[in-house]
Amino acid sequence: HQVLRVVPESDEELQKVQELQGLEHLQLDFWLAPRGLGFPVDIRVPFRSLQPVKAHLGASGVSYSIMIEDVQALVDEEQMEMLRSSRQLPLTTDSFNYEAYHTLDEIYNFMDMLVAENPNLVSKLEIGRSTENRPLYVLKFSTGGTKRPAVWLDTGIHSREWVTQASGVWFAKKIVDDHANNEGVASILETMDIFLEIVTNPDGFAFTQSTNRLWRKTRSRHAGSICVGVDPNRNWDAAFGEAGASANPCSETYHGPYANSEPEVKSIVDFVKSHGNIKAFVSIHSYSQLLLYPYGYTQTPAPDAEELHAISTKAVAALSSLYGTNYQYGSIITTIYRTSGGSIDWTYNQGIKYSFTFELRDTGRYGFLLPANQILPTAQETWLALKVIMEHARDNMD
Amino acid sequence: IPEAGHKYYLQFSTEDYRTGENAGNCLATVLYPKKKSPPVVSIKCSLSKDQKEIQEEDDRLYQRIRHQTKPITGNNIPDSYGNIAPALEPLWALAVAGSSSIMWEKSTETLGYFLAQVKSVKQWMRKDDFIEFDYTVLLHEIPTQEIISCHMRLTWLPGHPLQVKHFCASESQEVQEGSGAESGSAAGPSAEKGANF
Repeated sequence: HQVLRVVPESDEELQKVQELQGLEHLQLDFWLAPRGLGFPVDIRVPFRSLQPVKAHLGASGVSYSIMIEDVQALVDEEQMEMLRSSRQLPLTTDSFNYEAYHTLDEIYNFMDMLVAENPNLVSKLEIGRSTENRPLYVLKFSTGGTKRPAVWLDTGIHSREWVTQASGVWFAKKIVDDHANNEGVASILETMDIFLEIVTNPDGFAFTQSTNRLWRKTRSRHAGSICVGVDPNRNWDAAFGEAGASANPCSETYHGPYANSEPEVKSIVDFVKSHGNIKAFVSIHSYSQLLLYPYGYTQTPAPDAEELHAISTKAVAALSSLYGTNYQYGSIITTIYRTSGGSIDWTYNQGIKYSFTFELRDTGRYGFLLPANQILPTAQETWLALKVIMEHARDNMD
Repeated sequence: IPEAGHKYYLQFSTEDYRTGENAGNCLATVLYPKKKSPPVVSIKCSLSKDQKEIQEEDDRLYQRIRHQTKPITGNNIPDSYGNIAPALEPLWALAVAGSSSIMWEKSTETLGYFLAQVKSVKQWMRKDDFIEFDYTVLLHEIPTQEIISCHMRLTWLPGHPLQVKHFCASESQEVQEGSGAESGSAAGPSAEKGANF
């Protein structure tokens, strides 16, 4: 079948096209029916009717163009694409759809593909298991050395913040591409390693897919309550349990029974401590469009607040340069509100000076339910800010 | 202000929710008294949109909805992936307007809200010209991070303020009445409600 397009420019031409509509034996399928002069008419023509149709039009001097040479070929191609990209697993990280939200399985499969395709750069570490016994995977990007100074990035610690896990997937691919093209972070990888935990809260993430799209916490159950889950960003050992978190297990900011009670948190704590050489730690959240540094639990400025503020200024400028997205920045407590038991307050107190938190797009119009067509721009602009932080860490190592 | 409370001075611009065009500027003061009670607000806006244009848009929205032969219903707007079907956009727009009334009443000096999602909407057919909708909306509460479920009843006729009645799950068992008259009139000076989509 072919699809022909006719644009009638005179009443005679329009009439000729309309005549075709009456010739039922031709079995024509009008994708765009005749509307008037100057409006395109698209007709799907079965093979055996091609000759009569072209003759009918040609006899009156009505010109047409072939919009689709072979409808079947397009249908076949689309079938293949659908089989590949919908719920079937993509075959390579090049055919992975970065502009869509994915399931946990799809993301775990992506990680395996990335490692398989780049065995000399990427490896997958299991740093622990979640409450529901899901593996906690961290991707390590390294060009060699032994325990090189490193950057830590985590996304998805709050499961409903879907644009973060989606961005994490894109970051992983970006690191690999930069390295392959010897640009961007390739220079950072010469002296530093990058650790990236894409699904930091897999139980929560699975729950947002199966049951409650707006689930934030982990899925742990603690004695004495029917309510489920601990806020993994109130569970760290930095002013744990103080103002800025809730002691109520049913609350979205429940800090948990004790610091590091959540395996999702403890596994990172253990990793960071045993690694001992992490220079920058970035936790990624959404939404609000903010870049934040410690502290959340006290008004007292962090000793390095000035330097962190200067880095933030530069990072935000880089981010905005791409699409004009507006970010605000400052310490957690002065920019948003008091929080206790937060990840970057703990890492900062451990001596990891370059500890930052991002709140990605948007500012509330879609909030957690950010349309998939914003994943790519969000990841791209955020990456520019991350590079500023990584480069600063690399250039200021003591 | 010692002994009196906290006073905030605000200067802000507004934008058309649909198009993003600048819709005007406002100057406001908000005084939160020391003892708990609703804040005292004074506000003055200069809106850049032409009244006639607002009225026409309201009428168009109204006609679109009235044209339906069956009661309109919808769920999960936007859906998990952030999508809003074009046919459901007007319902979302009305929810944004109506829920802003809920937020106006619920917010405090330390508690703020965003509309997270329209969980469900169902149209109630009326014999008169008013259109009426029953909503369940989910509000995202800051800084508690809670998701508050609110039942919202919207009634509207172009030229009249949007009527909003709501009942949120976390509150005690009273129906909160908000007539929206002070800020909902499509024909009035602060015309963000019911128009400018």
